Amino acid sequence: MDLGLGRAELDACVTCALCLPHCPTYRVTGFDTHSPRGRIALMRAVQDQGAPLTTEIVESFDTCVQCRGCETACPSGVPFGRLMESTRERMVEAGYKPPVRIRAALRVLDHHKALQAGSSVLSLAQRLHLTPSSLSVPKRLPLRRPAMQKSGDDVHLFTGCVMDAWQRDVHVAVKQVIETCGFGVAPTGPGTACCGALHSHAGLGDAARTQARQVIAALDDDRPVLVDSAGCGAAMKDYGRLVGSSEAVAFSERVFDVHEWAADHIDGLPSVEPLDLRVAVQDPCHLRHVQKSHMSVRTVLTPFVRELVELDDDGLCCGAGGAYSVLQPELASSIRDRKTAAITNVSPDLVVSANPGCSLHLQQAGHEVLHPMELVARALRGVQAD
Amino acid sequence: MTVSRAPSGHHGAVARRKFRKTNTDRCVADLVAAIGADRVRADGASRLLASTDASIFVGGHAGPVCFPESTAQVQACVRVAAAHRRPVVARGAGSGLTGGAAPLGSAVVVSTTRMNQILEVDVDNRVAWVEPGVINLDLSNHLEDLGLHFAPDPSSQQVCTIGGNVANNSGGPHCLAYGVTSAHVLAIEVVLSDGEVVMLGGLDAEPGGYDLRGAFVGSEGMLGIATRVAVRLTRNPRSIRTLLLSFGDVESAAETVGAVIASGLVPAAIEMMDKRCVAAVEDFVHAGYPRDAEAVLLVEVDGLPGGVELQAQRVEEIANRFGADVRVASDPEERALWWKGRKSAFGAIARIKPDYYLHDTVVPRSKLVEVLRSIYEIIDRHGLLVLNVFHAGDGNLHPIIAYDSREPGVSEKVREAGREIIEVSLAAGGVLSGEHGIGVEKRDFMPLMFSDSDLDHQARLRAAFDELCVMNPGKVLPSPHSCSDIASLNDAGEDLWG
Ligand SMILES: Cc1cc2nc3c(=O)[nH]c(=O)nc-3n(C[C@H](O)[C@H](O)[C@H](O)COP(=O)(O)OP(=O)(O)OC[C@H]3O[C@@H](n4cnc5c(N)ncnc54)[C@H](O)[C@@H]3O)c2cc1C
Ligand code: SF4
Ligand code: SF4
Repeated sequence: MDLGLGRAELDACVTCALCLPHCPTYRVTGFDTHSPRGRIALMRAVQDQGAPLTTEIVESFDTCVQCRGCETACPSGVPFGRLMESTRERMVEAGYKPPVRIRAALRVLDHHKALQAGSSVLSLAQRLHLTPSSLSVPKRLPLRRPAMQKSGDDVHLFTGCVMDAWQRDVHVAVKQVIETCGFGVAPTGPGTACCGALHSHAGLGDAARTQARQVIAALDDDRPVLVDSAGCGAAMKDYGRLVGSSEAVAFSERVFDVHEWAADHIDGLPSVEPLDLRVAVQDPCHLRHVQKSHMSVRTVLTPFVRELVELDDDGLCCGAGGAYSVLQPELASSIRDRKTAAITNVSPDLVVSANPGCSLHLQQAGHEVLHPMELVARALRGVQAD
Repeated sequence: MTVSRAPSGHHGAVARRKFRKTNTDRCVADLVAAIGADRVRADGASRLLASTDASIFVGGHAGPVCFPESTAQVQACVRVAAAHRRPVVARGAGSGLTGGAAPLGSAVVVSTTRMNQILEVDVDNRVAWVEPGVINLDLSNHLEDLGLHFAPDPSSQQVCTIGGNVANNSGGPHCLAYGVTSAHVLAIEVVLSDGEVVMLGGLDAEPGGYDLRGAFVGSEGMLGIATRVAVRLTRNPRSIRTLLLSFGDVESAAETVGAVIASGLVPAAIEMMDKRCVAAVEDFVHAGYPRDAEAVLLVEVDGLPGGVELQAQRVEEIANRFGADVRVASDPEERALWWKGRKSAFGAIARIKPDYYLHDTVVPRSKLVEVLRSIYEIIDRHGLLVLNVFHAGDGNLHPIIAYDSREPGVSEKVREAGREIIEVSLAAGGVLSGEHGIGVEKRDFMPLMFSDSDLDHQARLRAAFDELCVMNPGKVLPSPHSCSDIASLNDAGEDLWG
């Protein structure tokens, strides 16, 4: 079966195994079928050697978190994320669809207005099994919130879907920080419902492309687009490839993770009393392995807290992976156990994560997790504790 | 299970497959009964992946793959395999470069990935007991706060297992000063082919009797399965200097290596990379390796701060004599990046060609220049491409032939060139393998190095541990010295996807 995989991209894997320990699913299962090298070999078997899509091969592909830790580790530059996205897309075309509830939930993400209404948020949460009991959705679930006010036209702040509905506090904090740097912020709002990242991870390529085109059309100018969710930012930086138009390429070049942008404008922030906290940095995979801008989180945060500590797990995934924690709950939780151990090792006062999915997933395991920008905003407001 | 896909008119084949399948089914059922369903994977995907390692060898055929979590479960697997007359092959991370972990004869594969606990660390005596699936680098990272590490540091250390290191007697850049794996293993608990558990070696300074531990280290999974290993821990050096020497030609680099060793210095590591190799790794790590140099040496000296300073100066003086450009790593980050580049070399080769084949011969240091020259000449003659990256201090060469197996006729040329490289290495007084082992890939080169009588003695040692020849059969010892019928092991076994 043709998985749409380029010859050169597949051939780039020389089976050296150096990626294995950087793969969360290999780490927790020890199975070659759950390793990057194994998954690539199975893609080859299916595409080139006539292997059927057996239950176990489907399982091998389905259990991939798409964290792309293997890409960072690979000396030979295998574009694993692309291989897996294409594989999933062809599998969906061939009838291996993601579960109904996930597809239904993804359809909700497409409709920003519906998502804004509290009832939809809850129904989405329930469909994704993200009800407060099974996954600590922020305690104060915002049923209806006033729209964020535009303060100028210097930069767009991408407000997204899940994030906007659940984590408006984060956008508010980010907006405050950018404004303090001296820039006017235009929150993107309804025209840009969803970035399409979850769709493309699920193999729903057409839906992802539709979302991408909508976002690009809605932000049709030349101002920077700042994103405070690492997963969304990674997807939007990839619109050029996903959509393939020169317009999309130009758009992707305007996309910045908010920390990346803030690190370049940090001189605009006043020096204030740092928060008296020991803070552990959890790097979302799509910031570290995909955008590769995780260091800017440290640059931005360092002046504002007493102490930043690193986890000793070499950036291994936490297991959240968009909808992964819902689709593969057991693996997601074993993977998270490793992260929990790494966090416990450094005994921080709290953890920061620049991705809402990771935050929720870690909160569910009892960690106190904030967005880095929430701490910066807090320090700027001169409030030691919220 | 069904055989309905077999083409009609092949009754013999169908009957044979049916027999094999039921045979396999019973073996799988017994394995499941012995160690639990979630620890046995008998599907085509799992078996396909357990059939290979990091080498280019593609003739492996795995049977059921087991993931035991204790010595008792390894014993159980071995016993079930024996009852079903199946060979047994231990598998670590599958990073081996000679097909060592690639099973022949539809063997029961015993993967150690779930036996990955560091059981005990005795800081006072500098010994740790570990399970065989512990990853080499995980062990050293775990020990870092104690100021200790496990000295053998193969370039694959981020992934390879202690069990694999023991089986292949693996080396690494820093083994120049510290010695290879056998110098760092005190005792090994082993499950033998009949399921018996024995302890080889011991923690005493001089355990009595023959050094069976020594025989096991480097036995490539053919004497038994290591289930616990007592490893010696090495104190982290107080101070380290890492130098990057760049040269206008390969000969000057090789001569510098000789001169450094001749001066009486014992650097912790001396690694060499030629121009093509530098280009490949630099594309990955962006470590600032000089792309215009014909060869670079990465030299590390360690010890007490004052002494290290002096040693580094001496190395620099010698290098200068051979026209080198010398840089010293300015901080631990730069040092780490230089090493990351060196240790990624094999994987980075795909940036040049999709396949690689490498040899691992060791030649006397005094012959380095001469052998290197011959290697370049052999490669040119065959119209191939070679990248050289190796443990120069030990004379342990790793000429990597980069090629594209889809180009017609190229694989044959690669093999022929490989053979010639071995011949010039041996003619220079060298040996077949420095650290990667023989496996199946280098097996048929053994007679170039050993006489019939040598090989028979090796076979006898093997038979003393494994009379029935069930542990990783068909490896290392070529026909007719092997106790197994290698031709029958090469039989494809049952269809993966049937
Ligand atoms: C990029 C790269 C760099 C490398 N660099 C080096 C290097 O610098 N130096 C070096 O020496 N090697 C190097 N190697 C080769 C390889 O990594 C080593 O041989 C390593 O020790 C293999 O470990 P493994 O866990 O992957 O073993 P595997 O490949 O899984 O197995 C290797 C052999 O060990 C046997 N085995 C595994 N576990 C056990 C056990 N518990 N009991 C008995 N037998 C067992 C297997 O049957 C097999 O014969 C490199 C490989 C790669 C891909
Ligand atoms: S590190 Fe890259 S080349 Fe090596 S096995 Fe993994 S994907 Fe393949
Ligand atoms: S993307 Fe993540 S989970 Fe998937 S193979 Fe790579 S490292 Fe493993």
